[in-house]
Amino acid sequence: MGRMALEGVRILDFTWVVAGPVATRILADQGAEVIKIERGGLAEVSVLGPRRTGLQGELHRNKRSAAINMADPRGVQVARRLAAISDLVMDNFSARVMRGWGMDYQSLIKVKPDIICISMSGLGHTGPRCNYVSYGPTLQALAGFTRMMADERGEPAGYGYSYADMAGGYTGALAALIALWHRKRTGQGQFVDLSQFEALVGLVGPAMLDISVNGRSQAPPGWKSQEAPAAPHGVYRCRPRGDDDDRRIVIAVHTQAEWARFVGAIGNPAWTADPRFRTLYLRIRNSDDLDAHVGRWASERDAEEAASTLQRCEVAAGVVLNGADLCARDPQLRERGFFAPVKLPGGGLTHVPGVPMRLSATPGSIRTPAPEVGEDNDYVLGQLLKLSRAERDELIAQGAVWSR
Amino acid sequence: MLNSRGALEGLRVLDLTDLKGHLCCRLLAEMGADVIKVEPPGGDPARRIGPFVDERPHRDRSLFFWFYNLNKRSLTLDLDRPEGAATFRRLAAGADIVVESFKPGTLARMGLEWDVLHALNPALILCSIAPFGQTGPYRDLEADDSVLTALSGMLYVNGFPNEAPVRPLGLQAYHSACYYAAIATMCALFARDSSGEGQWIDLSMQEAAASAVEHVSAGYFGAGLVEPRRGTLHWSRFFRVGRCRDGYVMHCTLGDWTSLVEWVKGDRKAQDLVGEEWNELARRRDDAEHLFDVLDDWVKAYSRDVLLERAQLLRLPYASVRNLEELPDDEQLNSRGYFHDVEHPELGRTIRYPGAPYLFSGSPWRVWRRPPLLGEHTVEILGDELGISAKELAMLVAEGLI
Repeated sequence: MGRMALEGVRILDFTWVVAGPVATRILADQGAEVIKIERGGLAEVSVLGPRRTGLQGELHRNKRSAAINMADPRGVQVARRLAAISDLVMDNFSARVMRGWGMDYQSLIKVKPDIICISMSGLGHTGPRCNYVSYGPTLQALAGFTRMMADERGEPAGYGYSYADMAGGYTGALAALIALWHRKRTGQGQFVDLSQFEALVGLVGPAMLDISVNGRSQAPPGWKSQEAPAAPHGVYRCRPRGDDDDRRIVIAVHTQAEWARFVGAIGNPAWTADPRFRTLYLRIRNSDDLDAHVGRWASERDAEEAASTLQRCEVAAGVVLNGADLCARDPQLRERGFFAPVKLPGGGLTHVPGVPMRLSATPGSIRTPAPEVGEDNDYVLGQLLKLSRAERDELIAQGAVWSR
Repeated sequence: MLNSRGALEGLRVLDLTDLKGHLCCRLLAEMGADVIKVEPPGGDPARRIGPFVDERPHRDRSLFFWFYNLNKRSLTLDLDRPEGAATFRRLAAGADIVVESFKPGTLARMGLEWDVLHALNPALILCSIAPFGQTGPYRDLEADDSVLTALSGMLYVNGFPNEAPVRPLGLQAYHSACYYAAIATMCALFARDSSGEGQWIDLSMQEAAASAVEHVSAGYFGAGLVEPRRGTLHWSRFFRVGRCRDGYVMHCTLGDWTSLVEWVKGDRKAQDLVGEEWNELARRRDDAEHLFDVLDDWVKAYSRDVLLERAQLLRLPYASVRNLEELPDDEQLNSRGYFHDVEHPELGRTIRYPGAPYLFSGSPWRVWRRPPLLGEHTVEILGDELGISAKELAMLVAEGLI
């Protein structure tokens, strides 16, 4: 295994659910040692499913887990000692939680003067709504995404998943790296107050400017291009595959040159010479009729065949991949080996999305499967904190640490 | 450090990206890096994308361009001609990072590929953002953001069953890729600090976007399921949109169940939710459709904002479904100083920009430069900083290279 970009960086990871774990996962893939501090002894079903496979398998690969009871003062003592030998402490609680434990930045600089604390709360640590309870889907609702992704009937249909958690995760990882860079240059740590809500608002920047500058109200864009204007631009239903009639392709024709290639690709049918489709402006104005023609063309073809017919003539098009297409069949992802195998302890194998950034000298890697809760207690308490077996057993007996 | 531009001050980035990669370099620029946007003499095509100030199209009035190019400088240079590429190599010799989003192979055609840049400046980091990355059978295919949402599995899971999928809002395939590109570039900086060597980053937008729909691969590899479209019912089955008197709310059944059901009971709308079995998360998940139907009937009588405030008092993670127009007046954003007023002296106006999602206590995020006019810094960069003589600059202008 080659060198890793973040070798030697240790992160004490209090994050949970999805956004925080995405951030620390990105850093762990690049070689940071991420130690999850979590509650043990829970019998109830996790809403996130099993631990080593599925979503949690994806989120926690390459991490270690210590089950420390933060409701117990001796547990907090253990956590503070860990913070003293860590570079970053990350959480995604609202402000009061870490403060309540004495694990906030102001408390931790006493044990580690150059510590970096990144708090990835839902709405930030300040402001009238800083104590709102939130999850990805509720933040998407507050940030306008749910409403602006309207379906054919105009009903809100926004995100069947938590893109907010991704936006929060990316910004958390980036913030950690910026703060580490600053420390490298100046020797100083700092506190980063990250708002997942603001991370979402920043992703619709041009619309925010349109509102503040032009005062223009924003309608759900539907299939209107959100970058340079385009027509045809949409999703078109194709011939069923077996009993699967949800086969579709996306087509995006932006420029006049692309239109000419599109017309050639579909064999110059007579309708393409209609003067109403002559220029981009006209194609957008008459896009309902245009889409009806394109839709008929697509409906007579298999999705894969339609997409490759267009791509052969350099027209942007792609199949709307479902989970199986994406994970098992897409030739590009397969060739690049994107989904990576992870060996499970006790035999067996699962797959997780790989490292989505390929650095030529320090590529990052997937080294270990997600740990069970508390799996690394011995490493963390014994090797890192140098507690004897007797001391560890005592902590377990006191309820400060959960045994695995 | 208070007067500094930010943590990345002192790093020079040459930004060769088109709209696919703009955000990556903005993320570095707002942290203090000196980002030089290298535009073709006719201007970056994104300058022609709306919306425009006062809806008047002009290359120096594109709000789309402005958002992604805050804090950058602009240099015009025709890289398609050998003299332009030669000038670029001189710039690259003194730069830390080059970010590009050309079609794979384009840099080589210009004589600016990795081997050349690396030989010229071994510490240089090259970040290449492309729809499908630099290898593989799709390498040369065409894609915009909408095609990438299709090929990353993102599109399939948005919208209602038995309807066409709904397009994600706001170029999220590009944005996912740009965040990963900025993160990768930072990682390469750390690696360079110990090795002295730069490296080449191959960033596939398809892979970045596929990483953003983790429940799809989790469902497939974890349970052998093909995740369907479920309307607004979140895949976890603990969230769904409901309609109330004056709009919509996002229900959430992960909060304290007793508080929620007592409230609904008080309104005489609880129906069968009074049963003990609903205390179990698993029951609320498995019978989510029925649960949300009952809650939908309950919220009908409420106004959106009253419901939100009362729910939050009970620490129930409800939210109102808002329009984008509500955000500029949002109290929470404004009290955190999220929006930044930036002077545009040419227009005699102050423009209010969305800011960054993080407040750094020790190394500030700041706006230190409005987005550049086309070629605004060409002479400053090539003349003052690179030392090209006035005579030579005049030649470059005359030949249409800058």
